[in-house]
Amino acid sequence: MKLEWSVVWQYRWLLAEGVLVTIGLTIVTMAIAVPGGIILALMRLSKNRFLSGFSLCFVELFRNIPLILVVYWAFYVMPIFVGIELSAFATGITALALNVSAYNAETFRAGINSIRQGQVQAGLALGMSRFQVLREIVLPQAFRRIMPILASTWVSLFKDTSLVSVIAVGDLAHNALMVRSQTFRVLEMLTAMALIYWALGYPQAKLADWIRKKFEVKE
Amino acid sequence: MSSQVGQQIRGAGKKPILSYHNVMKRFGNFTALNGVSLDIYSGEVVCFIGPSGSGKSTMLRGTNALDPFDEGQVFLDGSPLPTSENEARHLRRRMGMVFQNFELFPHRTALENVMIGPVTVLGTSKDQAAKAALKLLDKVGLADKTQNYPANLSGGQQQRVAIARALAMEPELLLFDEPTSALDPETIGEVLNVMKTLADEGRTMIVVTHEMNFAKRVADWVVVFERGQVVEQGPPEQIFDDPHTERTRNFLSHLGWHG
Amino acid sequence: MELDFSPIFESWRFLANGLLVTVQLAILCCIASLALGILGGIGRVYGGRVLKGTITFYVDTMRSIPVLVVIVWIYFALPLVSGYNLPPFWSAFLAITIHVAAYVIEITRAGIESIRPGQVRAAQALGMSHRQILREVVLPQALIRVLPSIGSIVSVTIKDTAIASVIAVPEYMKQSETLAAQSFHPIEVFTFAMFVYFCILFPTTRLIDRLYRRLAHLGQS
Ligand SMILES: Nc1ncnc2c1ncn2[C@@H]1O[C@H](COP(=O)(O)OP(=O)(O)OP(=O)(O)O)[C@@H](O)[C@H]1O
Ligand SMILES: [Mg+2]
Repeated sequence: MKLEWSVVWQYRWLLAEGVLVTIGLTIVTMAIAVPGGIILALMRLSKNRFLSGFSLCFVELFRNIPLILVVYWAFYVMPIFVGIELSAFATGITALALNVSAYNAETFRAGINSIRQGQVQAGLALGMSRFQVLREIVLPQAFRRIMPILASTWVSLFKDTSLVSVIAVGDLAHNALMVRSQTFRVLEMLTAMALIYWALGYPQAKLADWIRKKFEVKE
Repeated sequence: MSSQVGQQIRGAGKKPILSYHNVMKRFGNFTALNGVSLDIYSGEVVCFIGPSGSGKSTMLRGTNALDPFDEGQVFLDGSPLPTSENEARHLRRRMGMVFQNFELFPHRTALENVMIGPVTVLGTSKDQAAKAALKLLDKVGLADKTQNYPANLSGGQQQRVAIARALAMEPELLLFDEPTSALDPETIGEVLNVMKTLADEGRTMIVVTHEMNFAKRVADWVVVFERGQVVEQGPPEQIFDDPHTERTRNFLSHLGWHG
Repeated sequence: MELDFSPIFESWRFLANGLLVTVQLAILCCIASLALGILGGIGRVYGGRVLKGTITFYVDTMRSIPVLVVIVWIYFALPLVSGYNLPPFWSAFLAITIHVAAYVIEITRAGIESIRPGQVRAAQALGMSHRQILREVVLPQALIRVLPSIGSIVSVTIKDTAIASVIAVPEYMKQSETLAAQSFHPIEVFTFAMFVYFCILFPTTRLIDRLYRRLAHLGQS
């Protein structure tokens, strides 16, 4: 079998563009899913039955459905339900953000709940408002537990962006698979795709490990 | 009743700073406080004693509205305790609270723990708050530990920081909930000494404690709780040397107290 | 908008076959990746430097490459290297297993390392061999402690099987796609698919949570 690695070089710009889209998908999704997760967590912790019930259903639903199905659903079903046609990129972002928001909501909720009730009482006893207690006492402490999980969610998200390739968002996986089917250089293109993901993802995974070590809670 | 005799002598010519009238507190079906009436005067050290689960902590948490009473009335300086959360915050500024488990904020140094109240609640400038906090830490004997995080302090040291944190709000009243129960025997003394100093300064303090020696030595007034009720109250000489009720005697002998 | 779920009922056999494939694939992947992952986890903790280094590299590699990429590579590219064609089902099985096993290795390692040294010393004091200590004391506690994480691994594995649709494994996701296209009722078909996956995943994770609550005390030393 003759390998022609030059095909990878030949399509380098298309692959680079895919890389940019992949990174863009990750960043934009997180930028939506962090506030989304906080809002869902606060809804869940609120005393209002409706708000906490809604949040619970949302979180359990999207944590228990394969992301690839959410992507298809966002592509075929959402435009009809919501009535707006989104670009493929925006559709992909929507699906990813629904999924990651649900995970982040659990992360934030667990982080907030991990703080002992006595800490809240100590803050209240000083005369702080509930909001001040959340800002000065609960969140800073919860942060150390939340950061490592957010970091590993980030690493998973970076990989999961590849799933939006099925609706032809021009990310790395989509572009590489497209070149493969046009040039028939299957082994070269697929290996290149894997290596590029590896080169980008490996440092992120290591960074996530570092964050976990740095924030490790010692009691 | 003898306690009333004591109270007449005690309260002569003064108005109580805190006055509980028939206070009740329920958790579901369980009645944690069942009609408690009690006066506390300015400058007094009042110790709450009694068996576990008798409602002592519940009294304290009700007093600063962390967990408000269900029924009855409490007057602070003659005006009833507020019910809304907003007013409750004002109330809590006037009372300092010290917890059994210290509840220092682990993400802040000792100094910052003492500063956090004045800075966030009273809007004091950081410089000013830091100056005051240094003085307070000096007062509790921790001038050399200001930059330590709670994890790097012993239990006794943590509790002294917690006392300084409460003092930083310049409260009219200090509430202690078993401040030495979580401590090693050798560090209990250092915390009790700080509390004794505060008592000698004439501060008003309510102390829930199992340290009978401290109660006997420092308290002006001792209240014995059992099953959500006050069984007996009086000066320490009465409670410890000449208890008037059988239940007080039982409780004390249970602790191995023989006068 | 008129919803018409009749295509789903008319093609129920087609979908049921897909569901069966999903379940088979998920169970096989779970078993294989747990076995591989636990072995790898033991190697990661107790192995020599080379073994440790190799396993760590493998784990971090799998953490950085999307499972879609692994699936596609194994199905399309591996035969060109090995000269041997794997059918889609077994390609997906292989890809998902080696991907998920990496996570099981990490979990097993964390579980083993969370056991206090005192436990090992106590077992040594009883005269147990290394192998006995691992089998009788360390592993049982470690695996109970990580049960919640194993639960999420099972959930991830089931969800990953849906990605096998990209190499046309006739599992539930693929069958739904096909039916959605043929029946022109994507809304009903995909919404129903969500329902089906939820009905598999939600009880599974709950069941493992409950199992953990039953067993948790056995892992607390
Ligand atoms: N939040 C709560 N929910 C339900 N029951 C409670 C709650 N807080 C207190 N109780 C109950 O109320 C009773 C009184 O509790 P409290 O904490 O006031 O007792 P205590 O006298 O402080 O005892 P200890 O010496 O053990 O601290 C106990 O039986 C306790 O179980
Ligand atoms: Mg108590």
